[in-house]
Amino acid sequence: MLEAIIEIIIKTAVIMAFPLGALPLIIHVERRGAAFIQKRVGPNRVGPFGLLQPLADVAKFMFKEEVHPSHVRPFFYSAAPLIALVVALLPLACIPIMGPFQFFDRTVYPEVFRSDMGIFFAFAASALGSYGILLAGWASNNKYTMLGALRACAQMVSYELSLSTAVVAMIFIFGTNDIHLMVDWQTGYWFGFIPKWGVFVQPVAAMLFLVGIFAESNRLPFDLAEGESEIVAGYHLEYSSMKFAIFFMAEYVHMIALSALFIIMFFGGYSVLPGLDLIPLSNPFILPLLQVTSLTIKIALMIWFFVWVRWTFPRFRYDQLMNLGWERLLPLGIVNLIITVLFVYFRNQ
Amino acid sequence: MAYDILLTIMTMVFALMVVFSKKTVVAAFSLLMTLLSIAMIYFQLGTVFLAAIQVLVNAGAIAILFVFVMMLINLEQFQNNRERSKSKLIISILTTLIILGVFSLIINNNIEVLSAVNISDNSMKTLFDKLFTEYYLPFEMATVLLLAALVACIVITGSEKGIKQEQEKLQENLNE
Amino acid sequence: MEFLSFVIFLILATALGLILMFISNLLGQKKKTVRKNDIYESGVNPVGSATRQYDIKFFLTAILFLLFDVEIVFLLPWAIAYNNATNTGFLIAGFVFFMAVLLVGYIFVINSKALKWEE
Repeated sequence: MLEAIIEIIIKTAVIMAFPLGALPLIIHVERRGAAFIQKRVGPNRVGPFGLLQPLADVAKFMFKEEVHPSHVRPFFYSAAPLIALVVALLPLACIPIMGPFQFFDRTVYPEVFRSDMGIFFAFAASALGSYGILLAGWASNNKYTMLGALRACAQMVSYELSLSTAVVAMIFIFGTNDIHLMVDWQTGYWFGFIPKWGVFVQPVAAMLFLVGIFAESNRLPFDLAEGESEIVAGYHLEYSSMKFAIFFMAEYVHMIALSALFIIMFFGGYSVLPGLDLIPLSNPFILPLLQVTSLTIKIALMIWFFVWVRWTFPRFRYDQLMNLGWERLLPLGIVNLIITVLFVYFRNQ
Repeated sequence: MAYDILLTIMTMVFALMVVFSKKTVVAAFSLLMTLLSIAMIYFQLGTVFLAAIQVLVNAGAIAILFVFVMMLINLEQFQNNRERSKSKLIISILTTLIILGVFSLIINNNIEVLSAVNISDNSMKTLFDKLFTEYYLPFEMATVLLLAALVACIVITGSEKGIKQEQEKLQENLNE
Repeated sequence: MEFLSFVIFLILATALGLILMFISNLLGQKKKTVRKNDIYESGVNPVGSATRQYDIKFFLTAILFLLFDVEIVFLLPWAIAYNNATNTGFLIAGFVFFMAVLLVGYIFVINSKALKWEE
């Protein structure tokens, strides 16, 4: 029993350290990337290449005064960042960072809990993401936060629909809902050189899912929830010091979790990248190591894509955003699903 | 076993908070917590799928609707509205009777459905097989029901024209 | 076992959040002033209160999301059942009917312009 609990705690620590440890690096990449795209220098003073800048920022957040305005609803005001962070971390509980591997005499599964319905758990948990934002906006008792929260919430639910249609289509294509089997399906090559990734089977679903991630994690060009020019900073306007930083963290963790799900469904999850699979598996621990490396590289590329898009596209207008979600992506998702199902059915006949 | 008792107590406490809390938004969030506790009970019984569906539909959509309504129309101004009226009394008596009736049914018939199904994600697949063979027609009818709900909600909230007229009326009143 | 893992994960995540919040509460200075406690509206004096009525469109979006979400969630067990089924033709027929009803509902929503946000 104790052994099992220790194993769970280790797994939890690893899966939480993965995004939270990468966070300073991601923020640094984001700022240097912005500078690179805009032909600026970016933060480069603290440490080599300015790498210590995010750590300095964290220290600054810690020592800042926690302003607790008198007009807020105190309990919910304090609970909102906590809820946002916990809910953002939850989907990670059943995302495998590598395949099951032999540890001495038993098979170890890397996810915190193993279930063949794990993917539904992850989506259900990420569907709760809007509560932290809604609660923060309402508890702050400010017109701007309220508007930001309502906008964020309406936007998140709208894009969740097209995202769900993409998930159903992919479950249908894979013929399974077990994450490990999905990855197995995507391991290997077509014609010897094209990786068997889901994105080549279902490009439309991949596109819907990708747009869904941007909308769900409130990233530009979908960051209407915090449109500076209209509603100052949106739902976290009245937050300061570490509470503000926690919202920031939650947004990035949510982004990483959704990216990991995207990669599991469309880019082969932890399956070893082409090129890396040439390394001979002389030791049983090499394969898990390669798998973790592959997944990390894929997620890093996704993060770079997020940064790239953020500093390339301007923000949508709110009516454009809602019309895109409801009048373009949702029918596209439904039609894509129908075509997929009928195609698979008639091909198997 | 300890989980059972803890989760049941949690569900009950939150459910009672829905009824007794004076602030409407607190009640709405208690409802959310009740639904999440029920999802956790499913999870604890071994059906991750049911728990996920419970969270997706009940907590992710229905509770969000409630919270939205509370925030949008700001019922806080009515939160002291606690006077007793005749209709309230009748409704509470009726509700109590219904609950007692359900309880007596459960106690008298020691319902076997609950014990007959050994719930787990594997048996979920058996359940789906049943759902999509024997009970496929009711399943399909559910969509028709949802279509009716869709039409109703659009008609009730009013067409674009109706909203425009209302807004113009409001604007005129404001101008006066 | 799965549930135990979930509970431990939940406890650790909550503990992480609480510790982070506690740290800044401990380290940061505390100096209350009238201006800091005020509602932030870009520096000018706050106008009106936040408890006002918001657009009905937000509500409509939420309720339409609910209805479509229920329909799409119905498809999840359907997809799982299809993967293990033998009578696929029967399931496909139901699916076509299901999607037809869904599309009718969708076209009704779009035609009613219920979700048309003003430009």
